[in-house]
Order: sequence, then structure tokens, then C-alpha cells
Amino acid sequence: MLAVYKRELRAYFTSSTGFIFMGFFLLLSGFFYAMTNIFGASPDYNSVLGNITFIFLIVVPILTMRLMPDDKRQRTDQLLYTSPLSISGIVLGKYLAAVTVFFLTLLVTCLYPVIMSFFGDIAVWEIVGGYIGFLLLGSSFISIGLFVSSLTDNQVIAAVVTFSSLLFVWLIDWIAQGLPTDKVSGIVFASILALAAGAFVYYNTKNIYVGVATTLVGAAVIVATYFLADRYFFDGFIVRVFEWFSLLKRYEEFQMGVLSLAPIVYYITFSAAFNFMTIRVIEKRRWS
Amino acid sequence: MIKVENVTKRFGQHVAVDNLNFTVNEGEVVGFLGPNGAGKSTTMNIITGYISATEGTVTVDGYDILDNPEEVKKRIGYLPEFPPLYIDMTVKEFLNFVFEIKKANTKNKKQEMERIMELVRITDVQNRLIKNLSKGYKQRVGLAQALVGNPSVLILDEPTVGLDPKQIIEIRNLIKDLGRKHTIILSSHILPEVSAVCERVIIINKGKIVASDTPENLSRRLGESSKLTLRIAAEEKQAIKVLRDVAGIKYVEAQGVKEPDTVDVWVEAEKDIDVRKPIFNALSRAGYPILQMKSMDLTLEEIFLQVTTQENGEVS
Repeated sequence: MLAVYKRELRAYFTSSTGFIFMGFFLLLSGFFYAMTNIFGASPDYNSVLGNITFIFLIVVPILTMRLMPDDKRQRTDQLLYTSPLSISGIVLGKYLAAVTVFFLTLLVTCLYPVIMSFFGDIAVWEIVGGYIGFLLLGSSFISIGLFVSSLTDNQVIAAVVTFSSLLFVWLIDWIAQGLPTDKVSGIVFASILALAAGAFVYYNTKNIYVGVATTLVGAAVIVATYFLADRYFFDGFIVRVFEWFSLLKRYEEFQMGVLSLAPIVYYITFSAAFNFMTIRVIEKRRWS
Repeated sequence: MIKVENVTKRFGQHVAVDNLNFTVNEGEVVGFLGPNGAGKSTTMNIITGYISATEGTVTVDGYDILDNPEEVKKRIGYLPEFPPLYIDMTVKEFLNFVFEIKKANTKNKKQEMERIMELVRITDVQNRLIKNLSKGYKQRVGLAQALVGNPSVLILDEPTVGLDPKQIIEIRNLIKDLGRKHTIILSSHILPEVSAVCERVIIINKGKIVASDTPENLSRRLGESSKLTLRIAAEEKQAIKVLRDVAGIKYVEAQGVKEPDTVDVWVEAEKDIDVRKPIFNALSRAGYPILQMKSMDLTLEEIFLQVTTQENGEVS
């Protein structure tokens, strides 16, 4: 894992990718910092961090688009997958390299609050909390980008699909507001999920019985929940499912300087889940 | 050492490798021969664990590639068809990286790296970026990569493709040397290469083994009769007349005049009869000196064409 990590980290800075990422990130964050804190004479640094989360939409694809397709193109995947390294080691090495580049860039932005501290008191611990949240949020976006890059052999497609996925995650709260909240549509949505799970299982196992069984279990859970457990469970079910994917909602607490365990665990779980899916995708590819 | 049992690989409907069975013993150098798309690279990718077989098992040193991938991969050095190189690294950096991922990071790594670079003759380019190297050097760096960690098995997919004739000879000699210490499977469609380097040839076609033997045995088994070419200082008609009378000769054909006042003749003898002495005696009695006599064993090309185009190619 360490060898892959070192190589990827190095590759960011022997090519232009790392510099483009850093430059673009620092340009935009510097612009927002100058507008808010310098010209706006505001001591509130965390709102700057909150306002620049949209940068991820543009810079994360730059960071992640070449991670997997590049190995495929140079055929170095043959070297990696025939070496004694495990796939999880390879994926984690790449993921951590991307996170490290992001982390280094964030370190540079630490200069902004330091500059502010020359002119007055700043809320140090709130800013630290804000930074921790920002790092976790960015890492989660990177895990999505890594996952998308494992699905395609083409860097451009990886970048565009990553951008669209991040845009969707970014807009998810807004989309969720417009979704129906009544009981019936909640149940219909849950049924669609059960069907999709069945189709997914069938696609992976090629066994129609297991697929149908999965759907039936899903249906049974829906019926049992409705009649036995909680009649109101499906009210607003769609919105709740969408909100689960809302990375930004959990960032609000950090922005206010509150450091609580739940969102930290959420972000780490989110990244772990996407890394796990990336590993599965690669393993599946070698099997088919 | 390497045991491939009932290995089948399907890509959707297409069967790339069809129930392959063979073993390679320790220290053997085995050549994999077949037309394009025969399943050579697929088989190699399965043995090295790059892709998995649809059915069947591969064991190396008793370790199954699915149950103990790490143990198997540690024992194999693999040079794929296109050398897997990070072109933005220098040769030395790249080999360093390979040492790390192969977990061959021992104390005498430095000497080991020097040794490998010396062996494939890339010492003088060690500080150059791989992207600036010529095809021949890239191929050698690929070979160096396969040698890292001193694996007991080397799997080389068309190791001399794209090299100039001098480099081909160098790499071939290198492979011969390596064959003393390593078990080697190499694939090629350059047939003389296989007969020069390998102790055993496995010919595969359409995912199936159609022949497996030593190059000599293959040519002997497939050559039904022995063939000779002669250059005789005589008139064409006279020479042929004399040769026709020699016992054991099945067929005589003039090949035209290639040198003034001589004639080239092609002679096919009955199976298992050595007609060289009778031919010499007959011609010298008639006063026609033999300037040249060459026996024509079936070349690997001919064997190859024969077994891959035959309907029932089963030879072994």
C-alpha cells in the first residue's frame, strides 16, 4: 500500500495534475477569503470554508479522474494485480494519495486565519473544527471520484461522470425538497428499491431464484414495517433516503464550530463504503 | 512446478481458452506457440493471476492461484505483451517501486538492482525517464521488472517483439541463461526463437493444445520422409537420371540452376532410409561431384502450419 501511495503522490507532482488542483483551489479559496475576510472585514473564517464547498465539484474530478484509468492505459494494472499486493492495498494507496494532495492544499490555506490573527482575535478551535469537517467532506467527495474512475477506462468520461455525481450530491437537499412525502409514494419507492436490490443480486449471481427471493424479502420487510412496526415510517421516506446521501447537511455542524461524533463517523463510513465498492468493482472485473 | 488443469476462460459467448491441461516442471523452458488470438496471452494472464479462469485450477509450487494468490504471485515474474511501465519515472525509480510492491525490499537490494540492470544491460540508462527510452530499452526494463525478487518462475509474453535483430539475439541469449536458474514459459510467434530457446513447445490453437513436444521430436514425428537438397556439377537431365536409379529415393525434382554449370535437385527418400551414402556413391561413379548436400528437416514453421490448419490436429 505504501509503495502505491508514494508513487501516486509523486505522480501528482511529476504531471501537472497536482499543480492544477492546488492552483485552482488556492485561487478560488483566496478569492473568497479576500472578499469576505479582508475586504469585508469579517472575522468569520468558517463561513468562507462553507461557501467554497462548491469548489469540490470542479477540483475533485481533476484529482481523481486519472487514478484508475491511467493504470489501465499504461497497462501498469498488469504489474499491480500480478504483484503480491492486495487490491484493497492498491485502492487505499491511491485514495490516500489523493486525500494527501487535498490535505497539503488545505495546509496552505491555514495561512489565511494566521494572517487574520495578526489583526485581532480569531476563534481558533472553531476554525480547527471547521477544517476537520472540510477535510472529511473533501475526502468523501474524493472517494466518490475514485469509485467513478474505477468504472471507466477513459479519463474524460471519469471526470464528467464524477462532476455529475458530485453535482447530484451537492443538489440533493434541494432535490429532496421537491419530492413527494406521502405514504403511498414512500411505499412505492421502497418497493422500487426492493426490486432494484433483487435485480442487482440477479445480475451478480445469475441466479433468478436468489434474485426473486431478495425482492420478496424486501417486500416482506416493507409489509412488516407498515403493519407491525410503524405506520408512519413511510411518510417522507423518499426524502429521508435522499437526505442520507446529503454530505453537505452534515457539514453545517462543523461550520458552526461544533465537533460531534455522528457526522465524523458518517463521513468516514461514507468514504469506506465507496472505497469498498471500488475494490469490489476491480475484483469483479478480473472475474468477468 | 506449474500445473494447469482443465482451465477454461470464456468472455461472454467467446471461448478464449478451452479446457487446457499441461504441466511445466522445475527448470524447464517451455515455448507457447500459436497464431494470433489462440489464447496464449489469456493463458498467461490466468497463470499470473491477472484475470481468473472461468473453470479449472492453476497451481504453482503446490499453491492454488485462487486460494493463495500471494504465495503464487511471489514466485512469478511476469513480462506481459506490452511492458507495464510507469513512463513518468526513471528506470531506477521504477525498479525501486517494483522492489517495494514485490516485497523484495531486502538489505542487499542495491546490489540486487545493480545485478539485474547489468543482466539486461540498462545500467547506462538508469537515470533516464522511461518515456524517453526506445522500444528495445523499454522491453528490457520490462524484463528487469520481471526479474525483481528473483522469482523461480518467469512468464514472458512475446519478449522479443519490436526489437531489432541484434537485440533479439541478445534477449534470446539472456533467456537461455536465465533458463538455467528459472522455470520459464515464453510465448512467441517467431518460430525459430522457440526452437532456439525452448526445450519443449506447446502449440495452441483456438484455445486448445494441438501439440506438445520437443522441437526435434515434433519435426521428426511430423516429417514422414526425409528430404535433401543437392547441388551437383552436372547437366540437369543426367543428374536426375542417376538419382532416379538410387534405391530408396521416392521422388526427384530439379530446382533449376543457381550456380553456373551446376544443378540444384530436391530429393525425397523413403521413410527411415538414409540415402546420403548411396547418392554419393552413385554420383561419384557417374563422375558428377556433389558440391552441396543438405537435409531438410521440417521447420517449425511447417509443423506449425500443419498442426494449426489440420482438421484433426491432435498429434500428441
